[in-house]
Amino acid sequence: MPKAAQTPLGRTARLLDLVPYLASHQGIELLSLAQEFDVSQSQMVADLTTLWMCGLPGYTPLELMDLSFESGFVTIHNAETLAHPRTLSDEESIALLLGLDLVIESLPDDREDLKRIAIDLVKRLSARSSLPAKLSAIPVIPGSVRATIQSALGTKSALEIVYHSSYSDNVSTRVVTPIELRDDNGFEYLWAACQSARAFRSFRLDRMQSVILKASTAVTGVSTSSNESFEIDYTLRIHSRPREAMERFRFERDGLEADVEISSFSDEWIRRSVLASSGSVEVVQPQAIRTAIAQAARLILDRYESN
Amino acid sequence: MLDVADQPKEPTVSRKIERLINLTIALLATKRYLTKSEIFRSVDGYEGSAETKERMFERDKDDLRNLGVVIEVGSFDPVFEDEAGYRIKPERYTLDLGEITGVEVSLLSLAAEAWRGAALDDAAHSALTKLRSIGVESDLDGLPAISPRLNAAHSDFVVITTAISKRQRISFTYLSSSLERQSRIIEPFAIATKNSHWYVAGNDIEKSQIRTFRLDRIDGEIFAIHATGEYEIPKGFDIFQSLSNEQNATVATIDIRKGKAQLLRNTALSIVDKGEWDQITVEYFNTGILIDLVLWHGEDALVQGPMDLRIELIAKLHEIVLLHA
Repeated sequence: MPKAAQTPLGRTARLLDLVPYLASHQGIELLSLAQEFDVSQSQMVADLTTLWMCGLPGYTPLELMDLSFESGFVTIHNAETLAHPRTLSDEESIALLLGLDLVIESLPDDREDLKRIAIDLVKRLSARSSLPAKLSAIPVIPGSVRATIQSALGTKSALEIVYHSSYSDNVSTRVVTPIELRDDNGFEYLWAACQSARAFRSFRLDRMQSVILKASTAVTGVSTSSNESFEIDYTLRIHSRPREAMERFRFERDGLEADVEISSFSDEWIRRSVLASSGSVEVVQPQAIRTAIAQAARLILDRYESN
Repeated sequence: MLDVADQPKEPTVSRKIERLINLTIALLATKRYLTKSEIFRSVDGYEGSAETKERMFERDKDDLRNLGVVIEVGSFDPVFEDEAGYRIKPERYTLDLGEITGVEVSLLSLAAEAWRGAALDDAAHSALTKLRSIGVESDLDGLPAISPRLNAAHSDFVVITTAISKRQRISFTYLSSSLERQSRIIEPFAIATKNSHWYVAGNDIEKSQIRTFRLDRIDGEIFAIHATGEYEIPKGFDIFQSLSNEQNATVATIDIRKGKAQLLRNTALSIVDKGEWDQITVEYFNTGILIDLVLWHGEDALVQGPMDLRIELIAKLHEIVLLHA
C-alpha cells in the first residue's frame, strides 16, 4: 500500500535514492518503480518531474539531469554525480544487522558456507556503521518451518505436522490444511483446518516439531461449529509475583488489590498454569477447579514422599 | 498519458526539495570547498535578501545532515583566514560494502524481508533499495528455502533504534516483578531478540550499572532525551553474553514420564531410560523459573536433585494445597 503523507525531507531522501536506482535499472516500468519506492504512480511522476529540474550549477540542458518517462518506461542520463547509492543510515544498518543475525541462526547446519558469507557481511556492515554492539536475533522457530507453511499456503496444499500440545502435554501427528499465519502476543500461530480433529485449530509455530508438505489437498468434513468455543470463567487471586501472573494469564489491570475475572477454553490449562505459578496465585472460583488443583498438588506431594 | 502539466503543483515544497538536491549535487561535484557566496551565486534556488539566503542555507545544511549527508567544512588555504567553504566527500556519501556478490545480495534481501510488516520495515526496505541500486542481481538459486521473520511489537521500537544510533538517552516506565511502575533512564547500547521477546540493554543512569529490559514490560511510551551528553557503547557489547555472565548455571536431575513433559525434554542435556520413566538432566540459572516449569508438568515430572531445589519445590506444593484447601 503506497504511503499517503510525505515530509519534504522524506521526499528529498527518496529523490536522492531514486537516481542511483534508475541509473542501475534503465528503462524500468513506471509502475514497478512506484512499487519499489512504495508510492503511487502519480506521486512517482511528481518526484520525477521535480528531479528533472535538478542538476549541476548552470542548469542548462547540458547540466540538468535528463529524464524520460512519458512512455511509461523511465530512463535517466546525465546524472553521474548522484549515480551511486547513498551510504546506509544507522537505522538501515540496524535493520540489516538484526535481519542478518536471524538469517545466520536460521540457516540449516549443513550450510556453513552461507553462514560464513553472512557473518562476513555482518562484519563489513558493522565496520561501516557507528554501531559497536552486537545486535542479536535468535529465532524461536527454524526458518524452514515457516517457509514450508508459506509454500503450503501458496499452493493450497495440506501439511503433516508433528505437534506438541502444551495443554495436554502430548505429541501428535496431524494433517492440516493451512488457512493463515497469525500473530498473537508475540507468538506466531498457524490457523488451519485439522483433519484429525475435524475442526479449525490454531497451532503455535514454535511447538511444531516437524512440518512436511503433503500432496493431497482439502480437508473434508470440517465442522465450523468448533467445540473450542465454550469458555470457562474463573476468578484468580494474585498473592505475589503479579507481573508474572499478568503475563501468564494474560489479563490487564491497574490496581494490585482486586481479584481478576478471566476466562479460558481449557480447565486443564488453568490447572497447569496455577500449578506452574508455584503458589503465587489462587483460583477463588469455581470450586471444582479449586478442588482439582488441590488434588493435583497433593498427588504430586504423595509422589515425592514415596520417592 | 502522463502529462507533466496535469500534475498538482506544490511550488514552495518542490522548490525546497529541488534546492536541497541541487545543493547536494553541487557540493558532491566540487573538488574544492565552495564558499557561501559561491553557493548563493551558482546553486539554483537561493533568492531574496542576504539574510534570507543565509537562513535558507543554514536550514538546508541541517536538513541534509538529518538525512545522513556529511557536509565537511574547511577553507582553501589554512594559512590565511579564509572564508569557510563546504563540500560533500563522495567517499562519505556513497555506500561502500566492497565487492558484492549475487549471493550476498540475496542474503541481505532475506535479512531485509524478515522485517516485513514489523517495526523496521521502512528502514529495511530503503536499505534494500540502496543495495539493489548497486546493480548486482541477487542469486537466489543457491539459497535454502528459509523464511526468517522478525516480530517487533512495541510501538516505540523505532525510538530505541534511533536513540542507539544517535546515542540519546531514553526514558520509560518499567513494570517491576511486583508491578511497581519504575521510572528508568538508560543510555541504550543494543537491542536483541530471543524466545519471541525483545530486549534493550544499556547503562541505567540511576543505578550506574548495565541493565537489560524486556520491551513488553515497558509500560506506555518510550521517550528519547534529545539534549543530553554523548556516551560510548562498549565495543562488541552483547546482550545475551552480558546476561549469562551475571548468572551461574546449575544442573538438575529430573524424572519425567515417557512420552510426557515435552518442554523439559526439549532442554535436556542427557536422557537415561528408566523403564516407565526417563531420567534427564537440565541446566538452569533460576530456581523459581525451573520450579514453575516442572510444576506445569504436574505428576509427570519429579525433581531428584539437587536437594535444595527439591525441598523448595515441595514447599511450593504445600503452599498450593493450603491456598486451595
